[in-house]
Amino acid sequence: MLVTPSINILVVENDITIMQKCRELLLDEGHRVRTAESVEEALDIIQKQPGDVDIMLLSLELPGWGGITLIETLQKARSEILIMTMSANCGEEAIEAMHAGAYDCIRKSFTTDRFWTKMNRAIEAFRLRHQLDILTQQRQAALSRVHQDGQTLLSVLNSFTDALLVTDWQTNVVLLNDTASRLFNLNEEKAIGRPVSVLLESDELLSFFIRAMKSDGDLAKLMAGEEPVIKTRDKTVRVHVDPVKNKAGAVIGAVALFHDVTRVDAMDHLRADFLSMVSHELKSPLSSLLMQISVILDGLAGELSPKQTDMLGKAKEKTKGMITLVNDILDYRRLKEGKSIQKIEALNLAEVLQHTVELMRLSADEKGIELTPEIAEELPSFSGDRGGVEAIFVNLISNAIKYTPKGGKVKVSLNKEGKGIRLMVVDTGIGISEEDIEQIFEKFYRIKTEQTRRISGSGLGLSIVKGIVEAHGGAVHVESEVGNGTTFIVSLPGKG
Amino acid sequence: MKKVVLVDDDVDFCEATKLLLESKDFEVVLAYDGREGLEKIRDEQPDLVILDVMMPEMNGYDVCVVLKADPALKEIPTILLTAVDREMFQTHYTQHMGLMTEADDYIAKPVESTELVKRVEELLDKD
Repeated sequence: MLVTPSINILVVENDITIMQKCRELLLDEGHRVRTAESVEEALDIIQKQPGDVDIMLLSLELPGWGGITLIETLQKARSEILIMTMSANCGEEAIEAMHAGAYDCIRKSFTTDRFWTKMNRAIEAFRLRHQLDILTQQRQAALSRVHQDGQTLLSVLNSFTDALLVTDWQTNVVLLNDTASRLFNLNEEKAIGRPVSVLLESDELLSFFIRAMKSDGDLAKLMAGEEPVIKTRDKTVRVHVDPVKNKAGAVIGAVALFHDVTRVDAMDHLRADFLSMVSHELKSPLSSLLMQISVILDGLAGELSPKQTDMLGKAKEKTKGMITLVNDILDYRRLKEGKSIQKIEALNLAEVLQHTVELMRLSADEKGIELTPEIAEELPSFSGDRGGVEAIFVNLISNAIKYTPKGGKVKVSLNKEGKGIRLMVVDTGIGISEEDIEQIFEKFYRIKTEQTRRISGSGLGLSIVKGIVEAHGGAVHVESEVGNGTTFIVSLPGKG
Repeated sequence: MKKVVLVDDDVDFCEATKLLLESKDFEVVLAYDGREGLEKIRDEQPDLVILDVMMPEMNGYDVCVVLKADPALKEIPTILLTAVDREMFQTHYTQHMGLMTEADDYIAKPVESTELVKRVEELLDKD
């Protein structure tokens, strides 16, 4: 969830009752509050730490040096503080204050609601003004200044054996080194100011620039080592694009390095990631197979006889079994490599479960099984790996559906359990015998009975569930009675 | 009749899916790599685009990034379809690349025909 940053507010008021009331209201909303009883004291605070006051809540009824003079002084000093005034009836003096630069006026006889209506508007105005400032700075930071920053830098860039090209935030070229001119056969004079995609005739390249400029730190890390190879203007180049940021951290452009690999064997560029290759090479054809069978089964390629429908239906089930097997092997391999947790993040388990249930609904419906999620209203917060948690849900729910006869019921619930969370998957299925129950979490263990013969599976699902649950610091156990169904209980620790 | 451009390097998948979508009254235009896909999308101005991720020439993410940066094309609902490993897809791409490519939906391959049709219709109904 996005946390709204708190605002630094200075309350300037000599009436202690009103000052305290403002202070309490603002503190309750998590803002940082300081107080001053006179204009002199307020000025003192502002001058000592100019950046430390965002909004000033200023009484117009201070003795001595008046509030209006303070507003005028701040305006002259080009202060960025947003000034909200307070007075007994917001009359003439308030209008005068607004002329001097104040934002609005609150009556001192305010109710809490009235106070917040006005204050929230002021806070919003401050935030907008602040954002606008950042944006303006960003635009004004002209990258082309690089060009004037001395010949030394340019000589350094020209010594690179790799081609270097810099664009502004609209992907227009602002700088290129000699290698770039040579490699892409560009005339520097003509290249400057033109869109990089037009210049290098590559939409693909454009996508890297856009992506680099939209990226944050995390993405840069994620992309590290991933250097795509593209063909452009009869050259094959390995590209690396990074965002260019100004001192304030705002993205003002992008810088690309091109390494000429025209002569390197094209095979080198295949993604070395074994997992994704295996996954892709196996799942792509399976995916076609599944789609082709489904289309034939739906009668879209001509009428089918009942026998053909029956056999194709079984072929479809086998294909789906293969897909599950591929997924399971990949999950299991990852588990073995200690990679079952890839990224810990705050997760809304209720939402993840809802999503999984929706995915499984189709296969439940096909078997006429009633699949009901029951999710408690208030769950402790949880942090974990999304993919892992989904794998837990998918495996347990698909097992329950698989081992429950037609017309049965599968109930999935999420509840609070102490400081943690308890997931229960209850089915009215065939159940597990006492001898088997001790071994179901072993890898490749599959219960072999008359009833399970036609059910496909890899025997890996539950060992995957156990591995992932334990990697999250949780525990899984099972209760079952043959013929009366099975209950899987997963306990996951809450955050903190 | 709503027009769909389907871009996937697997010809068999394309043809079967074309039959499926045509049976639901869609007009389907096929392309077999990223570059060809982008050309077809520009020419056809379809109502919806389905993009495979791992393709020769230009991959689906990159096609999507270019689509979404083009004012003339960015409103076209785009579904990314991928057979890359389930977990990689979820953790790596939907969270990082996915957000950045701004695709309108993601479907992991293999996908059930009913599921694909449902997701396509849902996206088109939003308009």
